[in-house]
Amino acid sequence: MGSVPVLLGVSAIPVGRHQSRADAEQHVLEHEVLARLVVQAVEQAGITKHDVHSLVLAQCRPYTMQKYFCTFMAHYLRLPSSATVMEVLGNGCTGGLALEHAIRDVESGRARAALALGVNFETATASAEHMNSSMRATGDVDFHVPFGLTPISWYAMDATRYMHEFGVTRDMLASVAVKNRSHASLNPLAQYRQPITLHDVLAQRPIVEPLGLYEVSPRGDGAACVVVASEDVAKATGQPYVRIRGRGFHHEGAHQISETPNDMIALGALQAASRTAYETAGIRPGDLDFAEIYAPCTIVEVLAGEAMGLTPRGQGARQAVEGQTTLGGRIPISTSGSLLSRGHPAYVTPLYNVIEAFEQLVGRAGARQVGSARLGASSCELGNYNAALVHILEAAR
Amino acid sequence: MSMDIIPVGRRRAWPPRVTEATRPFWGALALGRMTTTRCDNCARYTFPPKPICPHCWSSKLAWTDLGGRGMLYSRTVIHAPPKVFEGVGPLHVGIVDLDEGVRICCGLLEDDAPIPLDSRVELVTLLYADGPLFSARRQVSAREASGAHTQTR
Repeated sequence: MGSVPVLLGVSAIPVGRHQSRADAEQHVLEHEVLARLVVQAVEQAGITKHDVHSLVLAQCRPYTMQKYFCTFMAHYLRLPSSATVMEVLGNGCTGGLALEHAIRDVESGRARAALALGVNFETATASAEHMNSSMRATGDVDFHVPFGLTPISWYAMDATRYMHEFGVTRDMLASVAVKNRSHASLNPLAQYRQPITLHDVLAQRPIVEPLGLYEVSPRGDGAACVVVASEDVAKATGQPYVRIRGRGFHHEGAHQISETPNDMIALGALQAASRTAYETAGIRPGDLDFAEIYAPCTIVEVLAGEAMGLTPRGQGARQAVEGQTTLGGRIPISTSGSLLSRGHPAYVTPLYNVIEAFEQLVGRAGARQVGSARLGASSCELGNYNAALVHILEAAR
Repeated sequence: MSMDIIPVGRRRAWPPRVTEATRPFWGALALGRMTTTRCDNCARYTFPPKPICPHCWSSKLAWTDLGGRGMLYSRTVIHAPPKVFEGVGPLHVGIVDLDEGVRICCGLLEDDAPIPLDSRVELVTLLYADGPLFSARRQVSAREASGAHTQTR
């Protein structure tokens, strides 16, 4: 028997450098961090351990020593489950896929409540060494990697093309980083909260031209837990909750670039996924009060906003400069501070985005509250937005 | 059309693996020829070369020469490379749309200035000590027209 799934509780640690070095005298370990978050989220949701029948984990980074982490956690929490105990992996979509599976467990009637959760610890490994591994995830190991392409180099090529086609300057793209830092300054979960100026952004060393240090994601550790429950369970708790109004997914059947030339910066997979999400929600992009977009670089937020119909094609950077995507503007984007300043513990980043949307929709976003927020969108992606997953969320008020 | 072969006096930082299906590609590249597989059934190219056609899933493919010329679709310079590329210097890379309608990604030879997007480029073979890679540079006629000088000719 199926039921209507809703989001009922969330918890997360501030994004930052948490992972201990291998030779530390005292360690910070993934399962201890995550277990505390589970208890916190379930308590906030107003349900008990016995309501939870599903544990869907974002796979840990290879640096996590404990393997078969999901079944280890099932024991650590002593949580018998009749629906799901598993780990999912889909690059940047990983946390979003965990949420999607938890939603399906509740929707199908297999679970009264399901947990989508994960812990991404990676900062004890230096960036250059980490990229020896991540470069193999974002390109053909034999036909792309030999040229030295890194995950964000693909986004940099998006930026070069976008500036060329639409006459956009780097300053305009860089304004997105300034805007996101100002949002992050209001977010207790954010990794970087000190406000920055456009001059600060432009003065940073180049990482992948035309993007500098503040225009690409920092690396960070994070952990998060989202409680999905049936609406009946949620109503019985008396707690505020969030409806999942629409969902969409699309993979374009290409990895980084299409061998058949296409309009790379249209982000076709995101266009398709958001179209499905809007249709299932019965809304138009203009109905959204905010969007929490998965964007590892300034340019990606601009392109994703356009692909989701939040800003007109070719106008995303200009509208960011005008403040239309800033808190208080026409359509606030990434009120959390985004991957750039809230932080990007990659496999759980989509959960952090959903948590921001949840906080906005239950009215707990504090100084970053979008006034009378009723409808919001969250997105996540993999590759160069070759696949996208979009959720439309609605306040149950 | 044969491409210039430019010797490089070191080994590749990340050598590609050769398979039965891709051996003809790497062998031809070392001789200055850019090749790939093309489907006998739907006539579409694939890149990289594959043992099946990804478009129609036919297994009937034939090797074909590519002209090695096209337009630069986009580019970047990577200043923070993976550890295996440390010491090689900033990495110039780009996306090239070949005249046959095939999009590839490769290194760029940019001696003087960034290659403008949508300008003509040509592929060359870089012959490292341990094998070949392909790379793109401004097409000779385009470079001569703009008065650019290069070290590689």
